[in-house]
This record gives sequence, structure tokens and C-alpha cells, in this order.
Amino acid sequence: MRFIRLSFAQAVYNLRAYLRSARTVALGVVMPVGLLVILSWVFAHQGRIAAAAGYQISAIAFYAGGLTAYGLMLGTFTGVMVAVVSAREAGWLKRFRGSPMPPGSYLTGEIIFNVVISLALVIVMMVISTLVYGLHVRMVGLVAVFCYALLGVFCFTAIALAITRIITTPEMGSSVGPFVTITLSFTSGVFLPPNLMPHWLTSVSNYLPLEPLAQSMQYALAMHAGTGFELRTFIVLGIWGVVGFAVAQRTFTWQPLRR
Amino acid sequence: MTNVIEVSNLTKKFGKLVAVDNVSFAVHEGEIFGLLGENGAGKTTTIEILEGFQKANQGSVSVLGADPRHGHRDWRDRIGLVLQESDFDPLHTVNETLRLFASFFSRPRDVAETLEMVGLADKANERVGRLSGGQKRRVDVALGIIGHPDLLFLDEPTTGFDPVARREFWTVIEGLRETGTSIVLTTHYMEEAERLCDRLAIMSKGQIVAEGTSASLIGALGATTIRFELPSGVEVPTLCSITGAEFTVHDNMASVLLGNSLPEVLLRLLTWSQSTGTALNGFEVVRPTLNDVFLGATGSDE
Repeated sequence: MRFIRLSFAQAVYNLRAYLRSARTVALGVVMPVGLLVILSWVFAHQGRIAAAAGYQISAIAFYAGGLTAYGLMLGTFTGVMVAVVSAREAGWLKRFRGSPMPPGSYLTGEIIFNVVISLALVIVMMVISTLVYGLHVRMVGLVAVFCYALLGVFCFTAIALAITRIITTPEMGSSVGPFVTITLSFTSGVFLPPNLMPHWLTSVSNYLPLEPLAQSMQYALAMHAGTGFELRTFIVLGIWGVVGFAVAQRTFTWQPLRR
Repeated sequence: MTNVIEVSNLTKKFGKLVAVDNVSFAVHEGEIFGLLGENGAGKTTTIEILEGFQKANQGSVSVLGADPRHGHRDWRDRIGLVLQESDFDPLHTVNETLRLFASFFSRPRDVAETLEMVGLADKANERVGRLSGGQKRRVDVALGIIGHPDLLFLDEPTTGFDPVARREFWTVIEGLRETGTSIVLTTHYMEEAERLCDRLAIMSKGQIVAEGTSASLIGALGATTIRFELPSGVEVPTLCSITGAEFTVHDNMASVLLGNSLPEVLLRLLTWSQSTGTALNGFEVVRPTLNDVFLGATGSDE
């Protein structure tokens, strides 16, 4: 009970800082929405786009699904990395460690916070896609997108935590995060149809977290039958997440790296 | 008297560097214990071992009856920390920052009361990012005492304070002592140590080189200086033979360092001055300060 209360206190604390910072809101919501507007305008004449494995889906389903995954990774991966590294280097984590707060509640608070902002992003993306661009989504597809969003938060939080040990400054985190996310977006069928990329590159991307997430969200929004759940996505993101947390468990440090 | 901290034969090495070298001391319940030393003397390392952030190589440490490395949540609940450097999220108000921390402890102080104690009552709704350096340090102290600790660690709490803020801070610390909080303080301001600490230990190159109350440490130096302008027409040998003390002259100021012979020398000097009508301009009797003790003990004299 105390653990849950403290986790939510952390989440509320993070959320408050997030809402007060124009930069983080811009990065987390405005950028994916802006890209959705630009890219779907540029590619509107295409009508249908060849998504992964050659499925032809509507341009809006392609971009709504792909850019939601992109925004989720950008926000969670970069956000967790920057939040943890700046709290650590400021001595804030050390303070936490020296208090009776259970260490896990900090982490749980971070996850709850990212779930909240990610769900907000998904809602904004879905509302704009359906109302402005006339995307038709089945209820089951929408449920699938929300489930993928939770899976994505789990996975990207874990990977971010796992690499905080080598990220020495918040500035480093805020450049590594977007760099990795944008690079992966090109190879994962987010900005451009995957058939424009060399085959070997897309094959590698299949085993990285963004491609399965983006592709599953695109299909869940485009499909006319089925449940929208793909086992492959759960396996790939699940493994990345579990390995990420296992690495973080061993390497995570509460004390500033720079003295 | 109960001890809140017991340290015996503590040693900590970083590679070849011996940061803390076979140190032993105890802190009594309800006192302010000072750990003095130059930068790199081993103060912060010692304190971080006591706080449970670092592991000792040798020796035993007991803080509130527990080994800090295995200090559990109930133990942390009784301890307050003011770390040497720490920063806060600039986007939160002072109030919000304190409330988050208060939620960690089982018997927290009231936030408003805590802000009152550290002199930040009027800044409660100010964002932390808009505070001055001294005000941020007070937030630090507020976070240290918000949990109502039995034992408070203050690692160089007044570094960067202006003299007024430093004096105000001393009052805060003295108020805490009155509430029964035991305090371990590191500082390199001698005036601060002399004013606040019931007992203190001076560290140099990882070792404790002097320990006791500041009065006893100063008393142990056993030397007082007499100083005045050398009166015109008086030769140094004359002065020495009259008073029986080895005066030296520097920049026309005659001075001598005296131990037990102080009363006799003083009496002879003043009698001579009165009977011959010789004025002793700028006459002063200077008691040694903790600074002299410090310089003597650490061997960093000039």
C-alpha cells in the first residue's frame, strides 16, 4: 500500500515537471503530431503504401501507426534516460537512496508517468487521424494499439535504464535518445515505406524494438479482420524489455558518476 | 552517555590512496560533533561510510546501533542527510519538493514548520529554480530535517553562504540541537566549528590528528600572545631583561608567545610601564583560536 502510494507520488511529481516544461511537451506530442500532418500531406497522393511484408495499407494508417510508435519511443526512451541521468548527476537519486523510500517506487513512478504521457500521445494521434484524416479504426484495433503502447513503454523504459550507466550527462541523453530513435525510424518503416530500404537493413530491424512496434500499430489500424495482436511483437519487445531490466539491475547506480 | 555513532579502526582505500587511515571516534547522543580538515583530508569519505554510501575496507562502524551498509528502511527513517552537493528539479516549488520527501518518512515534520525553521517560509510557493544559492542550500537542509531525524549529517552545509546567511544557519542548527537531534558536521570554517561543535575531531591525510572540545584543544596549545608597539628608545634586550621573556620584534611590533609564565610576565611588563611612564601602544593579549589549533595539528602552518 505504501509502495503504491509512493510510486504514484513520484509519478505525479514527474508529471507536474513535465507539464511545466514546454520543451518536453513539444518533444513528446507536438513533434509526432507535426510529422503526421506533414508526412500524410506529402504522401496523400500515394493513397496506399506498401508496409512491411508488402501489405498495401492506407497512407494515414501507415503514418498514424508508425509515428505513434516513433513518438512513444522518442518520449519514453529519451525521457527516462534524461530524467534518470539528470536526477542522478544532481545528487537527487543519492538523496532518494539515503531516505527510507523503497528504491522500486522511484522506478515504478517513472513507469506510471511514462504510461500516462504515452497513452495521452496515443489518444491525441488517434483523435487527429480519425477526425482530421478520416481513418477508420475498428474497436479491436484500437485496443491493440493501446496494448502495444503499454508494451512499448515497458520495453523502452528498460532499455533506457540499461544504458544510463554509460550516459554521463543529461545532455548526452537528450542527443542519444532522438538520434537512436530517428535512425531506427528510417529503417523501421516509420517515415518511409520499408521497401525503399535495403533488404538486409530491414531484416536487422525486425529484431530491434521499433520495427515490430511500428508495424503492429500500422496493421492494427489498417486491418479489416482479425484481432490485431501479433505474437512476434510481444516476443521481440518482451525480450528487449526483460534483458534491459536485467542489465539495469546489475549496472544501475544511484550516485553521480562525475565527481 | 549513549553513543549514536561508534567508529573503530576505520580504513578506506581508493586504489593506492588511503583516504581514511585507521580512524576511531564516537559521537554522543544529542551533541554536535564536528569533523574538520582541509579538502581531501578524508572527511566526506568518512561521512559517506557512516551514511552507507561507501564500504569500508577495514574497521567497524555502528550508526544508531546498525551497520550502515545494511541499514534498513527503519534505520533510514531516523537519519537525515545534507549532502555536499545536490540540486533539485527547478520546475517544482519549495513546497512541492518538501512534500515529496516528507511522504517517504514515517513521522515527518510539518512542511510549513520545517520551512519556518530554515527561514524559507516566505519562499514556500517559489519554484526552486528561482532561488539563490544560499536559499537552495536551505532547501537542502529542510530536506535533511523533514523526516524528524534522530541523527543528522551535514556535509559542509554553509559553503557558499554569505556571512549573514551563515550566522542565521548557525541559529537553525543550534535550534535543532535543542530538540535533541544528534548532528555530525563537516566544515572548513573554524569559526563555525568553534561556535557550533560540542566536540570535534581534526582530520589530516586520512587520520584524526586532534580530538576534543574546542576549549580543550585551544587550552592544550597552552600559548597566549602578548603584543604591542616597541616604545621608542627601548631596546629589545632591555625589554627581555625587565620582563624575563624572549620578546621578538617584527615590523616594530614586540611580541612573545607565553604559556604558564603569562601572569608573571604581564605583571612585570605593566609595572615597568607604569613606573617609567612608558606607553604601550596597541597593546593586546591574544588568545589562540581554533584556527591556530587547526594549523598546528594539520601541519599546514604557512
